[in-house]
Amino acid sequence: MPSRNLTSVSKSAAHELRTGCLFILPLVVFIVLFVLLPVLGTFINSMFQDVSFVGKRFYFFKNYEHLWSDPGFFKALKFTLLFILVSVPFELVLGLLFAMLLDQHIPFRGLLRGCVLIPWAIPAAISARTWELIYNYSYGLANYICLTLGLSTQPVNWLGTSVGAFSAVVVADVWKTAPFVAIIFLAGLQAIPRELYEQGRIDRANSWHMFFRITLPILRPVVIVALLFRTIDGLRVFDLIYVLTHGGPGGSTASVSHYAYMHFVSGDFGYGSAISVVLFVIAFVFSIVYVKVGRFSTEVL
Amino acid sequence: MISTRLSSLRLAESICLLLILLFLSGCGQKPESTTITFAVGGAPAELDFWQVLIGEFQDRTGIKVDLLRQPTDTDLRRQGLITSLKAGRSDPDVFLMDVAWLGQFAASDWLEPLDTHNDLDLDVFFEKVLNLADRYQGHLIALPVYVDGGLLYYRQDLLNKYGFDKPPQTWSELLRYSLVIQKGERETNPDFYGFVWQGAQYEGLICNWLEYAGSNAGGIVFEDGRIILHTPANVQATQFMHALIHIHKVSPPNTYTEMKEEEARTFFQQGNALFERNWPYAWALHQSEDSPVRGKVGLAGLPHFSVGPSVSTLGGWHIGISKHSDAKQKSFEFMKFVLSFETQKRLALELSWNPGRRDVYTDQQVIAALPHFTRLRGVFENLRPRPNLPYYTLISQVLQRHLNAVLSGNSSATEALSAAEREAQTIVDRYAQ
Repeated sequence: MPSRNLTSVSKSAAHELRTGCLFILPLVVFIVLFVLLPVLGTFINSMFQDVSFVGKRFYFFKNYEHLWSDPGFFKALKFTLLFILVSVPFELVLGLLFAMLLDQHIPFRGLLRGCVLIPWAIPAAISARTWELIYNYSYGLANYICLTLGLSTQPVNWLGTSVGAFSAVVVADVWKTAPFVAIIFLAGLQAIPRELYEQGRIDRANSWHMFFRITLPILRPVVIVALLFRTIDGLRVFDLIYVLTHGGPGGSTASVSHYAYMHFVSGDFGYGSAISVVLFVIAFVFSIVYVKVGRFSTEVL
Repeated sequence: MISTRLSSLRLAESICLLLILLFLSGCGQKPESTTITFAVGGAPAELDFWQVLIGEFQDRTGIKVDLLRQPTDTDLRRQGLITSLKAGRSDPDVFLMDVAWLGQFAASDWLEPLDTHNDLDLDVFFEKVLNLADRYQGHLIALPVYVDGGLLYYRQDLLNKYGFDKPPQTWSELLRYSLVIQKGERETNPDFYGFVWQGAQYEGLICNWLEYAGSNAGGIVFEDGRIILHTPANVQATQFMHALIHIHKVSPPNTYTEMKEEEARTFFQQGNALFERNWPYAWALHQSEDSPVRGKVGLAGLPHFSVGPSVSTLGGWHIGISKHSDAKQKSFEFMKFVLSFETQKRLALELSWNPGRRDVYTDQQVIAALPHFTRLRGVFENLRPRPNLPYYTLISQVLQRHLNAVLSGNSSATEALSAAEREAQTIVDRYAQ
């Protein structure tokens, strides 16, 4: 009797295992096909001199060697790192503010929550084009407002200086992605049990204390996730640059992705791949650091 | 349970079948395909024109042509072609290329040599264009469908009003006219500027720069694996471009951020500029029904510095056949049709493009409809190409970055050109075998 029972148990376990495997199979196929193979392919390609007009041959790390002495690449890298360093904190703080506002019992909350998502839903190329029109020197909205309000007597060439173009890109990016952060944070805020705040109120904690002692610690994993998403997204910024500044003025806003793309269009696929691999490694390092700092394994409550 | 398993089995089966079919269809190496694919991009009106043309070609020869519609953006058109050519796809068979890509495409061995077809009459094309752009290592690899060159548009009415009897011959004359007329016109139109041109960070900036540099007896010199950019002539020409914006202020501040062809054209067309550097396409638009400057515009060759000749950068689109094409003979027939006198004349009359064939410029009907063509012909005999290097795009990228930095005031001409020369040399060294 017991032995028969055991075999039936193991049988059902094996069946369960098989069903489980079947369920994750599509995901595994997807990841292998669209993530693992392209990453591996790009890495292998970066070891070749793969130039349409020269031919293809094994190159070891020569592409990386060239990269090391390429001022254009370092200029793009510097811009990209500076870009995430400035834009990501803005996005997180603004996103948190939006999320806390939308978490309150305010009128038309559902409608407002929907509205906040609109910038995120607009394709980046289109929102970049919109911002390009806003910053336009001759007929842009920004200059119209400045001239009408008398803030300036001359039209301002917003994208004309390195600082101006940089700020313009950051503003456009924050406008577009802060809502995304807000929605992630909102989900996190809703998961916090209300009793904790009530308990805090009984202990006479002020709202400042409650934010730093209750909200933020519980929100930490969500913050790390948002940080991770935004940093990786910011590292590979392309469409915004391509449409808004074309990398100008004087190449001061060319991002690493934009630089890799230029090599692809020029027919040097090996060099372009090497740039992409470097970008991949940087994103990977960021992810590991965040996960470590975020201490996902430790229990918050 | 059984039925779902059966249906999932059937699904898997059909997916496999589909994959096998796709695989086989990819492998099939047919001797000569019955249809050809023609890749071309452009404005909707241009694509409609090609569609009509293809219909006529089909009626006449019975060869079926598929139109592969590409975007208007030059970079995207190039990206689409490179993806197919690099993958060795048999489609598109025949396509249009910007003159600046020809070096890369030819060196990549993507283009079918055309010299084997001896029934082509090459004498009808601009000889200089053929020699400078369409030949690569002795082989003819493409032919010009239409030709572009930089031109100076000017406001005839304003020159008359301020007592200047002819358009400027030199850059210093252009500057003098601009300063006088800009000062006068500003009293009634505060948005008025002397001269608009293309200074944004893109390929057009190089076209403009080559005209200043070339007319100062400078330019991009490439000999024995050495690239030379940092010369006194180039520095002087670059400083002049910077001065137009920042010192003399005859060109608007957004010249180096926003000014591309269309921005300059609309600026001039709204009546806000005295001079404009642009390609020939702007003429028809300046003369259109609703244009505020209609009938007030003149056309001339670009000015020059005292030491050099007037220089006009060669632009335009060329037709070529893919080396991987599975219908080369039919593609060649189509190419001959596109380059025939009748088609080229229609390109001129219906799209006001500038044909690659010289004989269209002397056609009475064309001259009657487009009187400025007589002047264009002279300009097109003196075109200056961009360097015909396979890695030209990368050199251009470097130069764009540094020249735009000069125009924005972030860098001096000397600094920028010596840095550009250094960076360009590393690119040359990287690909020189």
